[in-house]
Amino acid sequence: MSNTIPSNCPELGLEVPVADIDQELKKLWEQDEARTNASLINLVVYSEKHGALLENSEIIRDLTREHACRAILVGIDRDEPSPTLRAWITVHCHLAHGMKSICCEQIAFLLTGKVTGRFRNTVFAHLNSDLPLLFWWQGELSSLFSERMASVVDRLIIDSSEWADPPAGFARIREASQARKTIIVQDLAWTRTWQFRLGIAGLFDDPAALRALPGLRSVEITHHPAHRNSALQLLAWLAVQAGWRDSHELALDVPRRNGPSESFGFEAKSGAAITATLSADEASAPLGRLEMRAAEVTLKISREPGSPHLQRHLEAPGHTLHALSPADPDTSAQLLAQQLARGGKNSLFLKILPRFLGFFR
Amino acid sequence: MSNPFRDDLVSRNRPEPCTVVIFGATGDLTHRKLVPALYHLAVEGELPTGVKIIGFARRDKSDAEFRGGLEQLNRRVSRSGHDAKVWDTFVQNIHYHRSEFTDADGYRRLAERLDAIDAERGGHGNRLFYIASAPEFFDDILLQLKTAGLNQPKNGSWSRVIVEKPFGTDLATARRLNEVVNQTFQESDTYRIDHYLGKETAQNLMVLRFANAIFEPLWNSRYISHIQITCAENLGMEGGRGGYYDTAGALRDMVQNHLLQLLSLVAMEPPTDLTADGVRDEKVKVIRSLRQWDTPEKVAANVVRAQYISGHVDGNPVPGYREEDRVDPESMTEAYVAVRLLIDTWRWSGVPFYIRMGKRLPKKSTEISVHFKDAPCVLFNALPGGIPGGNVLVIRIQPDEGISLRMVSKIPGTSMRLEPVKMDFHYATSFGKGSPEAYERLLLDAIAGDATLFARRDEVEEAWRFIDHIEHAWHQSDNPPPMAEFVAGSWGPKEADDLLLQDGNAWRRL
Repeated sequence: MSNTIPSNCPELGLEVPVADIDQELKKLWEQDEARTNASLINLVVYSEKHGALLENSEIIRDLTREHACRAILVGIDRDEPSPTLRAWITVHCHLAHGMKSICCEQIAFLLTGKVTGRFRNTVFAHLNSDLPLLFWWQGELSSLFSERMASVVDRLIIDSSEWADPPAGFARIREASQARKTIIVQDLAWTRTWQFRLGIAGLFDDPAALRALPGLRSVEITHHPAHRNSALQLLAWLAVQAGWRDSHELALDVPRRNGPSESFGFEAKSGAAITATLSADEASAPLGRLEMRAAEVTLKISREPGSPHLQRHLEAPGHTLHALSPADPDTSAQLLAQQLARGGKNSLFLKILPRFLGFFR
Repeated sequence: MSNPFRDDLVSRNRPEPCTVVIFGATGDLTHRKLVPALYHLAVEGELPTGVKIIGFARRDKSDAEFRGGLEQLNRRVSRSGHDAKVWDTFVQNIHYHRSEFTDADGYRRLAERLDAIDAERGGHGNRLFYIASAPEFFDDILLQLKTAGLNQPKNGSWSRVIVEKPFGTDLATARRLNEVVNQTFQESDTYRIDHYLGKETAQNLMVLRFANAIFEPLWNSRYISHIQITCAENLGMEGGRGGYYDTAGALRDMVQNHLLQLLSLVAMEPPTDLTADGVRDEKVKVIRSLRQWDTPEKVAANVVRAQYISGHVDGNPVPGYREEDRVDPESMTEAYVAVRLLIDTWRWSGVPFYIRMGKRLPKKSTEISVHFKDAPCVLFNALPGGIPGGNVLVIRIQPDEGISLRMVSKIPGTSMRLEPVKMDFHYATSFGKGSPEAYERLLLDAIAGDATLFARRDEVEEAWRFIDHIEHAWHQSDNPPPMAEFVAGSWGPKEADDLLLQDGNAWRRL
């Protein structure tokens, strides 16, 4: 990969010697005084995927429309035997309210060969001082994610949907961040459930739905096979918030796997048994449907693939409700933008995480 | 039993399903602000499921006609664009109710209609009454609501009222209106709206002061020389607004509510908590501590009123105030006012606050500027020019919301020369996402039962108490202070400059 990117690459900008990055960035600003340099965060985007640097530069171009940052893209090519390090700089500019040109700096690094040590020192030497560091680690966590790295990261963005073994991934984060309890972990798989969670909460604002909650009997979730973790996290959230106990605590006999479906058993506070079924469907949106049933009440939230809306539906004796609400975005970049707009310490995620990880036992 | 799925979801009060009844539903405010705000909340998924909207007005209209008019304007003014799919669902929850504001039968029918909606919705009886009618109907609407029993919440639900400005025209009318409101609704269920408080920068004032360790220690008479609050408008009396404005004037239209609210946020002590009453308790103390200009002489010394004469704004010729459409040619209503205020508290002893508001000024701008005292000139007073101006912290409310700090810096070179420089924070630059419209935030707060950004009865009455002395000196004393003049398109009359000059200060150039 390292040799396929030209020195003057439209997506990445101008290739510069690593030692001259700051000086060359300064020159970029001197070319045009009408631009405003804006930055609220340092955003490091790390990927070991082939071609990710170019893709991530496009993502940053869009992201900087709403989130001013200094972006540092890191591409790793372990297949190249010799250790090299190349760097490109560019700025992404957007007109704010049709008037002022707001620009954000981007530095892209491509490292080949054995990268440990070089990676951390190179990247962290180019952070904007005092601004928080958000580290978006794309794909599986590798051994590079160490305690020393975690010690400087304020917010770690991951997508557990990309992981083969989520419990192992979260264990690695826990291990690396033990010395520094303040690191905030944001899982884009969890962000993907946001509008579904709002939708569920909205439907349970209805008194008939709320009255039916203790008598809930079943939960069905349909999801795309690539987004099982989002479905599991949604289920974990339902169980934690509603106070349902897991079946394995209760030794209930619930068959787990059945083709593309898997089942989980819970016991409600009232003692009633609740069956949850997750069904994977290639034709589904990441989260395609959630249906909750009690004796006389049915709540349903659904989304057609690609639709910007969720359909929320409630059927209760004497009345029905139907409403639209926004759907969560599909791409990781849009999810990240949504997550950045919300901020927060993600305490709810920490609350449901043990339950989510428990589903893998 | 509370909804467990709401816990920890968002860090704000929970908006609950309700029916919003808007009185004055055929008016401009409903079409341009209220319904587009509710629509945008629906687009964002913030509006609770099951919210119904009933427009109450006198004109004969069907649901379809009412909805059609709302859609037409929403297409033009919605800040998120008009999504036909969302609108089609949203509009199914909008209905029209025709009735005179004084017709008891109309309210009885409204009650039946609300009961039917509640029954259909499964027992929810939450109601939010938004009085957006002409002010002369406020009393009638409130009394009729009471007569129809609509002020009484049922079955654990709530019944709230939002009252638009003007909240009275003086202390006596405000008190009387408050009596009527409080005989109808609990004070805790009364939301007196001041849309300035819904603006992002106004809300950010508390964050700026109390979430940053560097400002609060300096926020007192020891370090601050004076504070200016400016609300400049380049518009005059276009669109027939002269009819209302000539009966109100700048002092009552803007200072009594918006600008004194901003003043109280700037000057208040840290609240004990962020509850509505925690914040409002501190705000009202500021208004209560204003030194009263209770004689014509004190008014003459501390307040300047003025009207504009013909001039140019944005390069276009504009008429003088008394030549404007629907303005009395002999009007004695002020289109500009500047007030010097003193707050008699330990924190603000001796620090003047200057407020100015005017029509037909060079540009539209609302801002607060905090002028710090000069640093002791021990080191740099021998330099040519000394220290060029002190530190100024500017909080821009509109447009171009943001904060800037002026400080002094050395000019690069071998000699020691100083110049002011500015550190700037622009919302639009730092946060690409636009701020919500003030009405979106305020409507959602009212639905969620959070009154922090609404004025409480004592705040309103204390503000009127201060304003009444000035109005009395202007219009009822034997020796009224004069009406000054300024050329339209300038920054106000010379008398307003002199008001600051007596303290050795000058208006900030915007």
